[in-house]
Amino acid sequence: MSVVSLRSDAQAGSEPLPALKPASAMIEIDHVSQRFQTSGRQSHLALSDINLTIDDGAFVSILGPSGCGKSTLLYIVGGFVQPSDGAAKVKGKVITGPGPDRGPVFQEFALFPWKNVLGNVMYGLRQQGVKKAEAEARGRKLLEMVGLKGYENFYPKELSGGMKQRVAIARTLAYNPAVLLMDEPFGALDAHTRTRLQNDLLTIWERDRKTVLFVTHSVEEAVFLSDKVVVMTRSPGSIKVVVDIDLPRPRKRAELLLDPRYQKYVVDIEKLIDDTGEDEIHA
Amino acid sequence: MITPRALLEKSAPLLACIGLLCVWQVASLTLQTESFPTALEAIRAIPSILGDKESLVNIGASIRRMAIGLSLAVLFAIPLGLMMGRIKGVASFFNPLLMIIYPVPKAALMPIIMLWLGVGDVSKTLVIFLGVSLPIIYHSFQGGKAVEEKMLWSGAAMGLSAPQRMWRIVLPSALPEILTGCRTGLVLALITMVTSEMIARQSGAGNILFNALDMAQYDTVFAMIMVIGAMGILFDAAFEKLRGRLVRWSKPQHDMPLSFS
Repeated sequence: MSVVSLRSDAQAGSEPLPALKPASAMIEIDHVSQRFQTSGRQSHLALSDINLTIDDGAFVSILGPSGCGKSTLLYIVGGFVQPSDGAAKVKGKVITGPGPDRGPVFQEFALFPWKNVLGNVMYGLRQQGVKKAEAEARGRKLLEMVGLKGYENFYPKELSGGMKQRVAIARTLAYNPAVLLMDEPFGALDAHTRTRLQNDLLTIWERDRKTVLFVTHSVEEAVFLSDKVVVMTRSPGSIKVVVDIDLPRPRKRAELLLDPRYQKYVVDIEKLIDDTGEDEIHA
Repeated sequence: MITPRALLEKSAPLLACIGLLCVWQVASLTLQTESFPTALEAIRAIPSILGDKESLVNIGASIRRMAIGLSLAVLFAIPLGLMMGRIKGVASFFNPLLMIIYPVPKAALMPIIMLWLGVGDVSKTLVIFLGVSLPIIYHSFQGGKAVEEKMLWSGAAMGLSAPQRMWRIVLPSALPEILTGCRTGLVLALITMVTSEMIARQSGAGNILFNALDMAQYDTVFAMIMVIGAMGILFDAAFEKLRGRLVRWSKPQHDMPLSFS
């Protein structure tokens, strides 16, 4: 793994940030490899010797071509998939399974269709033994935060994709995980909705600064949102480079798009990806 | 405000029934056979069945067996089907067994079951149970298999254990499919109920029918067919109502707000 900092003065000297936590490792990925059995007794190496440390409070994106194993890496951190080799740790403890300290948000939303919007958001809280009245109050507050006030009694079937993903984000934020694991969360949305959700996610994140691991194949999205962008190579996936994104926060989309530094990051990262022979990255 | 079109749609089932009775009436009058009474004669025989205490006890006994057989099947088939849907080993063990059992007419097992368990309630209930179980297992299996894995992962991240996920995620998300199986099961329960009473003649709705047939009371035979048919329609309608309530969430109630992203 090579660490290339496009700007060597990353982090240090940037604008003072509200409530910046001292950098301590939240997630450590230590020599993780993943092998899948395919048909006919063959095995396919999906991830090859991944080493990555993610600081507490950092927004880290994983960028790579389809099939490079970036989602698999996220599933390993989630504890949904066990790595063939190596280990992933959260707060220094080896991950052996899913837990409420790591909240997933999937591209497919994965809402509980038999629960209404409020029921979905309350689900994790109720599971953790929070009293109904309190869970409901917190659920309503979260729904307001993601812009879904008034939709509490709707069922997922009745919502558009963007609204579903808002519910899914609120549902995960509700049980207050230390880490958000977002697996191409806006990949199934149209461009307009995608932009709106990126903005809203950033606003929410800049408020409480959870650690976020964000899988995407949009370079712009990764640069816009992240502190660090991890660029992966084509299968078997390994880390090609980690780019520190030294752009001031809070970030405003309109300003950022005109910012030459932002543009340079996007162009540089696209070039890095071109080097891997990538042809599937769409801006 | 009821438009003529809506009125027509609402009354269509009734019109269909009346149409069928008319065709029957005309056919019967044309054929003039003793074993084919007219619709009116058959309808006239219904009150004497429903007014007769013994007949009602018989029909009640039938319904009771049907209810017990169906309930047992539901309790057995849903968990089995869901486990087959979620656990590969369970599926590969039971699938071939069920494939063998599926095409066998369950009523054909009745003589053997009678030999073992007698001609009483136990045998008949068992046949109903066997007849009903398979479609419910099959649909529960399909429903369980189709549960989105990410949904289970979401539950696991919230701290749901494997049995909790089965009960609180797999079961509700497979419910629409399970209830489709139960609806098929309900109709099959009625069919196997009548068939079992045809073979083990002792009591029940089927018994009234076949006794009347033996005694050449053809109006009673046809009246009884109508009663059983009406029971089927009634049960199905009641079940559909229940199903509609249970899986209301699977059909949109509100119009999708298009302006919202």
